[in-house]
Amino acid sequence: MKFQSQKIAYWFFASAMLLLVLQIVYGFIMGFARIGMDGLHEWIPFNTARAVHTNLLVVWLLLGFMGSAYFIIPEESDRELMWPKLAWVQLISFLVVGVVAVIGYHLNYWEGRKFLEIPRSLDYLVVVNVLAFIANIGMTIWNGKRYTTTSIVLFFGLFTAALLYLPGMIDFDNQTLDSFYRWWVVHLWVEGVWELIMGALLCYLLIKLTGVDREVVEKWLYVIVGFTFLSGILGTGHHYYYIGAPKYWLMIGGIFSALEPLAFLGMAIYALAMAKKGGRRHPNKTALNWTLGSAIVSFVGAGFLGFAHTLPQVNMYTHGTLVTAMHGHMAFWGAYAMINLAMIAYALPILTGRKLWDNAASAYGFWLSNIGMVGMTGALAVAGITQVNLERRMGLDFLAVQKEIEIHFVGMILAACLFFLGICFYLYNFWRFGLPTDEAASSDVRAAEELPTVS
Amino acid sequence: MLTKLQAKVFFLGGTAVFFGIFLVLSFDTHLKVPNQTNAANITPAVAAGKRIWEENNCMGCHTLFGEGAYYAPELTKTVETRGKDWLKIFIKDPAAMFPGQRKMVKYNFTDEQIDNVIAFLDWCGKVDLNGFPAKPPLRDKMIAAAPQMAVSSGPPPLKKPVPAVFTTATCIGCHQIQGQGGAAGALIGAPPLDDVFRRYDRAKLVAWIKDPPSIKKDTKMPKLYGLAVNDAQLNEIVDYLLSLNPETAATPSAAPTAAPAPAVQPK
Ligand code: HEC
Ligand code: HEC
Ligand code: HEM
Ligand code: HEM
Ligand SMILES: [Fe+2]
Repeated sequence: MKFQSQKIAYWFFASAMLLLVLQIVYGFIMGFARIGMDGLHEWIPFNTARAVHTNLLVVWLLLGFMGSAYFIIPEESDRELMWPKLAWVQLISFLVVGVVAVIGYHLNYWEGRKFLEIPRSLDYLVVVNVLAFIANIGMTIWNGKRYTTTSIVLFFGLFTAALLYLPGMIDFDNQTLDSFYRWWVVHLWVEGVWELIMGALLCYLLIKLTGVDREVVEKWLYVIVGFTFLSGILGTGHHYYYIGAPKYWLMIGGIFSALEPLAFLGMAIYALAMAKKGGRRHPNKTALNWTLGSAIVSFVGAGFLGFAHTLPQVNMYTHGTLVTAMHGHMAFWGAYAMINLAMIAYALPILTGRKLWDNAASAYGFWLSNIGMVGMTGALAVAGITQVNLERRMGLDFLAVQKEIEIHFVGMILAACLFFLGICFYLYNFWRFGLPTDEAASSDVRAAEELPTVS
Repeated sequence: MLTKLQAKVFFLGGTAVFFGIFLVLSFDTHLKVPNQTNAANITPAVAAGKRIWEENNCMGCHTLFGEGAYYAPELTKTVETRGKDWLKIFIKDPAAMFPGQRKMVKYNFTDEQIDNVIAFLDWCGKVDLNGFPAKPPLRDKMIAAAPQMAVSSGPPPLKKPVPAVFTTATCIGCHQIQGQGGAAGALIGAPPLDDVFRRYDRAKLVAWIKDPPSIKKDTKMPKLYGLAVNDAQLNEIVDYLLSLNPETAATPSAAPTAAPAPAVQPK
């Protein structure tokens, strides 16, 4: 760690981990409700559990991104953060808004639009909060000693993510228009600007962990995010097939969203190629595992499993079934959860000055959580495909079909236990690092992290 | 070899071009949607229904237009298949109709709020969704392939006008009677009721309609007694169903010797 103000990142990461655990708890509540164990229905009905589960996911991922930005930007710009105190205020207020929203969901206080359940009054606070964040890192870059592609792409991703939150706040009486603009947030986030953030984090980690020359790594970053927007923007059409929008979206959405996996494929090849070029010389193998893992699992979860139901002919039958949930889990996990966990695994030794790079717990954390996630995805896939065939293709009743597929949720819960065990190992490691220290900024600790560059 | 500057130009140029196309198409969509969704029919009741839909996060369990959660049925066509009367009764107390099934929240809506929600769902059902939800493509093949159901023997049931009670009690939404109705029941195996007199006598009919799950666990027929059906209506329904029997009708049962015993003793 070079700058004292980077330490704030630790607290963002720690809050993110706390919310991850809560997210999983609510995931289990839903999993059990689906096998008939819905004893909590009176207090936490399914829609509450779901809103909490998905919103905590988004909030902890955003906290992770913000923490990563507060960690990366000072270093890339070669100066202290512009306003370290503002970062604290921003963290605390963000958490307060999150907690109020979650409590609200238990009291039927929400907006009832998938993924954007946060009620309008709190939306404004989110906007102010994110503006403070953007201003803080923006001014740091502006006044910095150097501009790097990594920091520019990261900033651009975060800035447009903030901007795209706004269309989700327009009100319509027409359900179709409501849905139309909701996707400007949800789709253009995960299949657009968040990929920029992911790309920038990946790029930063690869530079640090493989020692490959920055110019080479950053050049390919542009190519990949170029592909992201080339396919992802018009790919939004894959959500416009069957919501009451014109028919031309079937063609446009079908063609361009079918190209989207290329960006993820590019990301995976890029990461593997850089790792091969640089060699595995960095002592922090755990961080490299998570980095490469993220690039690969995001291709499988987002690219491959997304492609599986993106053509309009297929989507007609899979639209709004558990097939979507299957894809949603692995895509979010691979692309955004894993890249955050990679960033955290990389940053912790540097923030705390403790060299616990590699140990059994970190390996268990990586493998158990990933094997668990593959199992969960598999269970949801079998449930989803069965649902599509019985309900959408043979025309059996919804609830009767749900009874038939209940058993796959037993499988999903078992896999989720494995997954959660992996997360527990990861958190145990997190805890062992302890708090960030001032000494971590001293030069001899830093020396161990620096690799000689290969070009 | 590609330079960094070329890569940057590719990124910025590509983004600008495709975002431009996206904006143009969105603008066009915005102009066309009102027509495709019959926006003129968005009455204050529909708009109010949409707000109720959002304020209670119904989308956290249900899908609508295929969007939402996968815990509860897709509702785009529910008004068409279930009928408004049935929905009115159902929403008042979901668990009463489907005891022991997966739970919906019991909302304390006023009648007006329920009407608004139904108006909203009705509007949704009429939006042109480019063919969604598709008619299940294998359904007809399965029916064709299935061995013929036991053909009911004996003379055909009588033709008689269907009394209004079958509509108010929502039976006709699920069951076909005299060739009418049956849209919602086709999916869940609700049989036509014209020849039910061959399988059930009065006592059995009454017991069944009063509490289907107590006779057949997991049946898809809801318990409507006490919700849509009171004792007088129950008698009327059972009388009518039994009266379709051509054999008992042939014997001049009009003879007032044995007035039919009331199916239910008034409490
Ligand atoms: C906690 C989950 C949950 C919530 C929230 C919920 N529902 Fe339901 N709903 C269900 C389930 C489960 C069923 C299936 C029937 C049953 O078991 O009661 C259902 C059935 C229905 C049906 C009948 C559909 C059919 O064709 O069979 C309608 C209509 C309906 N819900 C409307 C609503 C509305 C309107 C709201 C919001 C005000 C809502 N639901 C909120 C779970 C939910
Ligand atoms: C939600 C749909 C639904 C509604 C509404 C409904 N039923 Fe049913 N009914 C069914 C289904 C499904 C079955 C088949 C039950 C089974 O075998 O599990 C059935 C079975 C029956 C049977 C037995 C039929 C036979 O041949 O075995 C009778 C009689 C009957 N219903 C009468 C009624 C009457 C009277 C009403 C109105 C008060 C009514 N039903 C309303 C769905 C419905
Ligand atoms: C990291 C990237 C991605 C993430 C996090 C992600 C996540 C999700 C989520 C959560 C949904 C459900 C949305 C909702 O119904 O509200 C969804 C839907 C969908 N995704 Fe992705 N996705 C990603 C990438 C992709 C890609 C690359 C493709 C296509 C190749 C794709 C295709 C689809 C399709 C077609 C749907 C609609 C499913 C339906 O009709 O129900 N996704 N995605
Ligand atoms: C570990 C235990 C977990 C369990 C038991 C679980 C279970 C569930 C369930 C039951 C749903 C609702 C599906 C429905 O509507 O019926 C859901 C939704 C969702 N979960 Fe999880 N989950 C878990 C972890 C995670 C993780 C780690 C992530 C992300 C990385 C995640 C991301 C999502 C997303 C994006 C959705 C919305 C999907 C969609 O709308 O298509 N979940 N989860
Ligand atoms: Fe998408």
